[in-house]
Amino acid sequence: MSRVFLIWAVTHSVKEVQSEDSVLLFVIAWTITEIIRYSFYTFSLLNHLPYLIKWARYTLFIVLYPMGVSGELLTIYAALPFVRQAGLYSISLPNKYNFSFDYYAFLILIMISYIPIFPQLYFHMIHQRRKVLSHTEEHKKFE
Amino acid sequence: MEHHHPTPLTLESSGWAPSWPWSGSGEKGPGTLRICRTILQVEILDAKTREKLCFLDKVEPHATIAEIKNLFTKTHPQWYPARQSLRLDPKGKSLKDEDVLQKLPVGTTATFYFRDLGAQISWVTVFLTEYAGPLFIYLLFYFRVPFIYGHKYDFTSSRHTVVHLACICHSFHYVKRLLETLFVHRFSHGTMPLRNIFKNCTYYWGFAAWMAYYINHPLYTPPTYGAQQVKLALAIFVICQLGNFSIHMALRDLRPAGSKTRKIPYPTKNPFTWLFLLVSCPNYTYEVGSWIGFAIMTQCVPVALFSLVGFTQMTIWAKGKHRSYLKEFRDYPPLRMPIIPFLL
Repeated sequence: MSRVFLIWAVTHSVKEVQSEDSVLLFVIAWTITEIIRYSFYTFSLLNHLPYLIKWARYTLFIVLYPMGVSGELLTIYAALPFVRQAGLYSISLPNKYNFSFDYYAFLILIMISYIPIFPQLYFHMIHQRRKVLSHTEEHKKFE
Repeated sequence: MEHHHPTPLTLESSGWAPSWPWSGSGEKGPGTLRICRTILQVEILDAKTREKLCFLDKVEPHATIAEIKNLFTKTHPQWYPARQSLRLDPKGKSLKDEDVLQKLPVGTTATFYFRDLGAQISWVTVFLTEYAGPLFIYLLFYFRVPFIYGHKYDFTSSRHTVVHLACICHSFHYVKRLLETLFVHRFSHGTMPLRNIFKNCTYYWGFAAWMAYYINHPLYTPPTYGAQQVKLALAIFVICQLGNFSIHMALRDLRPAGSKTRKIPYPTKNPFTWLFLLVSCPNYTYEVGSWIGFAIMTQCVPVALFSLVGFTQMTIWAKGKHRSYLKEFRDYPPLRMPIIPFLL
């Protein structure tokens, strides 16, 4: 969901942001993550999951996830002045539908929402890692 | 619905031993009849851990689940009856407070599984809180209390009639709801989980603030079709408010005070109740109608969105109610739809 938002509602919509380094940062993070994640699913379905893939999936996120989040936040931050300037996706009063929306403020709210959401997801993955990888260790001991 | 308790195969297994005049006990003369009463025992186990939490002996067979819950609270005071769910099967349905012990399929020792429903709060408390909020909050915006709009607008008044009308309608609506909560509604359940009050209040209070902000804004634009639009919308609003109230009264009259009986609602002499011919939950139909009226009156997108979200939720509830009616009553009128005549 955040991927779709970052791509369409931020990077695609605000052309000036497309040459930023932060875009490169999250694209790389997502690409590596997805290659590993889908290999994990594929091999699991084939019932032949190499330990390396499982390890990679549950370990590399430690670096890749913060990397991706940094790229996302920096990109949104870079887009802010252009959104403000162009009044992008914003509607102000007065108008006959008595409605207003400030996309600039909305983006700031999105950035703030990372504060509670990111730690929850991150520590969930850490917890999963402990569960999954120690389980494999036990299996290996009995082989 | 009551469970029918199968007759035990032997008198001994049921723990019931009559003393007939001819049973051979000798001492009683002919013509006397002595019946021993069954005393049941109840054990309560945790549904998840199967740990034995409580054992009650000397329980009367005609005791209700409500009485068992009260006994259980004595040994575990932190689990007051409202937060107890007792069931015959760890994954089964909760037993009702009115269920009588001897009518349940249990032997001489009844085993119940307990689940903690979490902290509970009364429906009345939740309703009063969630409705008092919007009433108060809307007025803050109406009177343009400081720090909402620019300082030059503090305590000023809108020059549009429709804004004053909208305040009256909105306030009337929530006063009506508060009074109905106190004097009209007869609730099936006493309590709901505590976290609901936070969820519900956020919804009602949040939307009230959002709508009120725009309607009472200094830059508010009155409806495109002017007084005509406002008059039509007001008529819709008033009719639906009367309709909604009529249905609440009709539903109240179906159920005697303090009881939890359920009956099929039917139209009464009041024309507003004739909507029962076409829908199961006309109170929701009228409620949606009221908000659509209010949306047309104020021509305000947040009001339309609030109506839409409310409609979605009420449709879910209406479909559920309709399904329960169909399940419970074989002779339920087939023409009725849950919330919108012929459609939904």
